[in-house]
Amino acid sequence: MSENAANIIMDNKICKDALVSELQKKKVHLFYCLECEELAHKIAAESDHITLQSINWRSFADGFPNLFINNAHEIRGQHVAFLASFSSPAVIFEQISVIYLLPRLFVASFTLVLPFFPTGSFERMEEEGDVATAFTMARIVSNIPISRGGPTSVVIYDIHALQERFYFADQVLPLFETGIPLLTKRLQQLPASEKVIVAFPDDGAWKRFHKLLDQYPTVVCTKVREGDKRIVRLKEGNPAGCHVVIVDDLVQSGGTLIECQKVLAAHGAAKVSAYVTHGVFPKSSWERFTHKNNGSEEAFAYFWITDSCPQTVKALGDKAPFEVLSLAGSIADALQI
Amino acid sequence: MAAVTPASATTSASLPLTQFSSSYSSSLSSTSSPFHLKLKTATLGNRCVRCGVRSLENQSGHRSLDFLSNGDPISLINPNLSSSPISMAAASSESGAKCSKRVCLFYSDETRDLAESIVSQSDCIELRSINWKKFDDGFPNLFIQNAQGIRGQHVAFLASFSSPAVIFEQLSVIYALPKLFVSSFTLVLPFFPTGTSERMEDEGDVATAFTLARILSNIPTSRGGPTSLVTFDIHALQERFYFGDTILPCFESGIPLLKSRLQALPDSDNISIAFPDDGAWKRFHKQLQHYPTIVCNKVRMGDKRIVRIKEGDAEGRHVVIVDDLVQSGGTLIECQKVLAAHGAAKISAYVTHGIFPKSSWKRFKLDTKGDPAEGLSYFWITDSCGTTVKEVMNKPPFEVLSLAGTIASALQV
Repeated sequence: MSENAANIIMDNKICKDALVSELQKKKVHLFYCLECEELAHKIAAESDHITLQSINWRSFADGFPNLFINNAHEIRGQHVAFLASFSSPAVIFEQISVIYLLPRLFVASFTLVLPFFPTGSFERMEEEGDVATAFTMARIVSNIPISRGGPTSVVIYDIHALQERFYFADQVLPLFETGIPLLTKRLQQLPASEKVIVAFPDDGAWKRFHKLLDQYPTVVCTKVREGDKRIVRLKEGNPAGCHVVIVDDLVQSGGTLIECQKVLAAHGAAKVSAYVTHGVFPKSSWERFTHKNNGSEEAFAYFWITDSCPQTVKALGDKAPFEVLSLAGSIADALQI
Repeated sequence: MAAVTPASATTSASLPLTQFSSSYSSSLSSTSSPFHLKLKTATLGNRCVRCGVRSLENQSGHRSLDFLSNGDPISLINPNLSSSPISMAAASSESGAKCSKRVCLFYSDETRDLAESIVSQSDCIELRSINWKKFDDGFPNLFIQNAQGIRGQHVAFLASFSSPAVIFEQLSVIYALPKLFVSSFTLVLPFFPTGTSERMEDEGDVATAFTLARILSNIPTSRGGPTSLVTFDIHALQERFYFGDTILPCFESGIPLLKSRLQALPDSDNISIAFPDDGAWKRFHKQLQHYPTIVCNKVRMGDKRIVRIKEGDAEGRHVVIVDDLVQSGGTLIECQKVLAAHGAAKISAYVTHGIFPKSSWKRFKLDTKGDPAEGLSYFWITDSCGTTVKEVMNKPPFEVLSLAGTIASALQV
């Protein structure tokens, strides 16, 4: 895209913003969990209409939470939101206690922003006896009390399985957002000479994302069983000579991405990068991707993640090839819905 | 309500036996709490297990099902007639008892020991297992073994929410079990944590007890109707109303275990019960009416809060301080000092839930020199908090009274 065109679009956006602020924007009071402090500050910086509020997060000696919502009277009649991060089971209970209470403080409306919905990959009962913890999580979230503003809105980015939207009961209004627009904006900044194409590591990723990325040629991979092993193969598309960006919703150990990168390189990709919305990276598995600066060829040119998983973002700092694309702007907009 | 039928009993010579009525409420109406009393005979002697404590606040005596046809409160028969020292006052195992229902009991890792004790109390209960694994990201990877085998069965889960970190995995199982075509589901949660955080004094306080009650009230109904929730000595009496109607709470108490233990002491006729505050008195005095009581309270003097005796006389008595739980132990120690200063000959303590965060149990020493200000004669706790029990087992003054028998009976309700 040419620079001029980009500028024109920026001007139009400025006009549109001015118009919208003529209309009544909602003032929102944003509470947040400790892990999300940085993201919360970024969100508040995006908009004059969002104010940060605070909570005392303490523990009793027995480990159970001792919580206090500061200035609870001030939020009466106000739109209130809570930015949560369920990065491990241990932190869920304290955040849920706050989430279950806020709607009942005579607020005008309540929104839960949960950028990353964990357990998402464990959402099927293949055998009787499987416990689909994603459904447990959905149940817990569905049980948020309604406030004067009606059902709680729950904002989630790139939920793992599309069917999961139906796991929520009618007392909550799930709002399914995506981080892909951040990716497309970033891709537009790459040199025009690079031929960018998008690769999906499996059919699931294709189903989730192909419609949002239909302006790019695509490559789809698939896992094929050969005896005991499962091998990643190219199913459709041709990566030769291109800058291939592998797109998926999340990364855990990174095994899938690494296998894909090998196959793409073997088929002639000029460069390979990756984008995931949620960099879960348990046990610091992101170390498999950092540039080692030892002269050897680097597997990934860029690795884009969002700031949905704050623990990872803190650990990564500035390490190449990682770049963090912030959800702050998108969340600030979502809070106006 | 339910029919009342006298049960026959044989007695052993040394213990009094009063007539018991047995009541069994088979309809799960919202006003009655399931309540069942059984008398079993075995070659070793009698065993009577009390199950289900009704509201302690009832003054008007409507709930006549609790008590005997002759109006006396139930006294507990010593379950253990042998002369061996009681370190686990568990009842002897049953033989020839008829099962009102067979129960499949699942359990969490922390509660394995208690689960095994429960099963040994009754032929009607069998253990089942769950694979508790974790994914790399720390979230649980769970599998209920032989899930098809529990269809049409009565199922129970023995939970322990000892810290927030373990709640989610147990909750996932608790939410899944009722939907596996079981004929009924019971959640046994001996200790209901967060109980002390159950009031909003200021707007902004977060009553985590209510959060937990909400989470549990959301357990799906099974074919057997609402889930029964068995819990012991819940901290605040109002908390029973925190549960929605989708759950049938069954509020039990560990006090009967204490009473039977006290009756076995050599100085059982010299015992007085002390309550550290009015809250404890409200919770327990009705179950302990036969003992003289002492009530303490905290009085503000400037910045400090001092424990005083409000009513009752400790002089020359073996005083047993009774409360529902202990955390740092500060309250108990203050009471101990005041009682000793008022002439108590011996001091012991009982709490149902020995939480003892950060090993605070180490503050309690055995009284070896007849100096009750320095040590306790006994410190009884139940096995509701599995992690503590392991630490204090066999360490005087601690003695663990097991809930296994009471739970086994509660599962027959």
